Amino acid sequence: MSTNKPLPTPTEISAPYWNGLKEGRLTLPHCKSCGHWIFFPRRHCDKCWSQDLEWKEVKGTGTLYTYTLTRVPTLPDFADDMPQKMAVVELDEGVRINTTLIGLDEADIKVGMRVKPVFDTVKSDGTALLRFTAAHKDIPSRIDSTPAALAAAAEAQASAEPEAAKRQVRFDDEAAMKALVSETYSAWSNQVVVDQALIDEFARLSGDDYWIHTDPERARKQSPFGGTIAHGALVQVLQSRFRIPLDYEVVGFNNMLNYGSDRLRFPAPVPTGSRIQARSRVKAVEKLPKGMQMTIEIVTHVVGSERPSVINDLVILYM
Amino acid sequence: MGLKGNAAIVGAAQYKPEKYATAPRMFHLEQVADLAGMALADAGLKASDIDGLVIHGPQFHEAQVFVPAMAAEYLGLSLNFAEVVDLGGCSSVAAVWRAAMAVEMGLCQAVLCVIPARMAPFGPDEDPSWMARAMRFGGHSTAFGAPEAEFDLPYGHMGQNTGYAMIAQRYAAKYGYDPVAMAKIAVDQRTNALANPQASFFGKPLSIEDVLASKMVAEPLRVLEIVMPVAGGAAVIVASKEVAARAKNRGACITGFGEHLYFKSPTYATEMTDTPIGPAAERAFAMAGIKRSDVQAAQIYDCYTITVLLTLEDAGFAPKGEGMRWVREHDLTYKGNFPMNTHGGQLSFGQSGTAGGMSQVIEAFHQISGRAGERQLKRCDTVFVSGTGGVMSEQGALILQGA
Repeated sequence: MSTNKPLPTPTEISAPYWNGLKEGRLTLPHCKSCGHWIFFPRRHCDKCWSQDLEWKEVKGTGTLYTYTLTRVPTLPDFADDMPQKMAVVELDEGVRINTTLIGLDEADIKVGMRVKPVFDTVKSDGTALLRFTAAHKDIPSRIDSTPAALAAAAEAQASAEPEAAKRQVRFDDEAAMKALVSETYSAWSNQVVVDQALIDEFARLSGDDYWIHTDPERARKQSPFGGTIAHGALVQVLQSRFRIPLDYEVVGFNNMLNYGSDRLRFPAPVPTGSRIQARSRVKAVEKLPKGMQMTIEIVTHVVGSERPSVINDLVILYM
Repeated sequence: MGLKGNAAIVGAAQYKPEKYATAPRMFHLEQVADLAGMALADAGLKASDIDGLVIHGPQFHEAQVFVPAMAAEYLGLSLNFAEVVDLGGCSSVAAVWRAAMAVEMGLCQAVLCVIPARMAPFGPDEDPSWMARAMRFGGHSTAFGAPEAEFDLPYGHMGQNTGYAMIAQRYAAKYGYDPVAMAKIAVDQRTNALANPQASFFGKPLSIEDVLASKMVAEPLRVLEIVMPVAGGAAVIVASKEVAARAKNRGACITGFGEHLYFKSPTYATEMTDTPIGPAAERAFAMAGIKRSDVQAAQIYDCYTITVLLTLEDAGFAPKGEGMRWVREHDLTYKGNFPMNTHGGQLSFGQSGTAGGMSQVIEAFHQISGRAGERQLKRCDTVFVSGTGGVMSEQGALILQGA
């Protein structure tokens, strides 16, 4: 997930709640005077105003009070969760919690359905968020969404997928080459995580060490994106890490030249920690005296985001 | 208990809504003076008549604190009562009844209620990206210790869209949902806007199909059911009977009001679909001593279509859970049997920040004073006005009646 996503800062009052989540336990403040359960944690019982409270562990089961599926992310950093399955859960103790649902298809989500907690570790220091899934769903009650774990999972998935058979198109068969031109994009490539280490490495290589890329502390306070973002140029070159599933391969040529780009745009930022992926289409094929020139539009998106982060009309000359 | 109806809105002014990018940039103090001058001219009163001020404090450009004193000094006014309201979209309704109370208590003879909502010019040291940063969390507090910063933001719960969407979704589960009826609210209001040259969407007809084909933002809310933010600003003058007697227009007396709030996130409401406008409207009607059927027009705060639906139900115009059928059976245009948001509502007029709610107050005043142009109702003596802030979290109601 994007590491620019807001994370909780526990207070002296709420720390036991967040410490519980780290260990996969849900604890709530409970009023010793009147027996009222309290959420969110606070100084007093909001029913009888006693300050005599205790922390008690609960099962975390409840019902879905309401939900919405977002078609526009509430923050660009949540683009990789689209649609966000935002929910309010009413625990069996009667308190309501703002949360998100996981492991469910859109059609499975119904107001009033029984739910159970999933403890989702989101940061390497063990910080966990409380998400929910359907009570009958067979998924682990603790999951790991730290950037490192997500990157490993994306890599494992990509290498597990067998490569489909491709039809071969001779580079000098003008009609066949032109038939590849399409308005429709290919399927998505594998996913790549753009983390701070990668950005720092690129800053060192390129010399572009502007703070909006390299200084997470300053960027958190001053950047309009709430944290650092990747260099546009970095996201562009990461194109080489994508394996875009194409149903053809160009064959028969002696040499393939990267001629540069007809159009290079960076329409949307890539917040640090985002997963990115790409897809492409053949935009134009032209027979030149030197060989066959193909223009491929490669669009790189943050996973789930409708707006591309990089549009590159790459020009290749086959000869 | 309550108001006797001795205070009346006698003058009003509001900027035509404009896109932020092209609207003039003015200091907020400058806008306050400009709007106040126009409202005084509208009323036919002098600046020296004003001895009270209710102003919107949050997001005031030139000061975070001491806003009323700074404004009084800038305006050159001597005040017996000064108040800041911080109730989001409910601030306009809230400002008007606070002003009426000050007048009825004998503190003031004329109170200026003003909300500037154009952007101020950027100073040499001001970083334009602060706006982007401030907008990032859509009005949610990010302060250490703020419950919403700790328990909402990490899950992506922020801004208004998803909160209203979740209220609508729960409504759907409890009572059923008819997207066509919801679209009709936006469409009837657009019909009203076509008779209002000041409206953002004047001259742009809208159909049910247009609304249903518009982009889904958060299920079940589509983009044409959500207000468009614009630059603007508005002011009204609330005066005593004595001052009202020398004003140019028929006054709109404040005969009833109510206000109710108890949560910021509707997640913590007793029941999300029973909104605070219920008790607020109940108090307003009781204070005015009138029935729902005495109302000749309703100006209902409309940040979203669902806000209108729930206000129609909870304020007692439509039976609970039957609002969609009720909307299908009523013509909400200025020519119809339940004239509502006759200026187009904020959905078609544009939402000029916190001043957006003032468009509803001012339309009520224009209808009562017989100055609503092509959309003027034949008879308009009694109008219900509502205000809504946050995610249905702070709500207020006014009953305005012709003098």
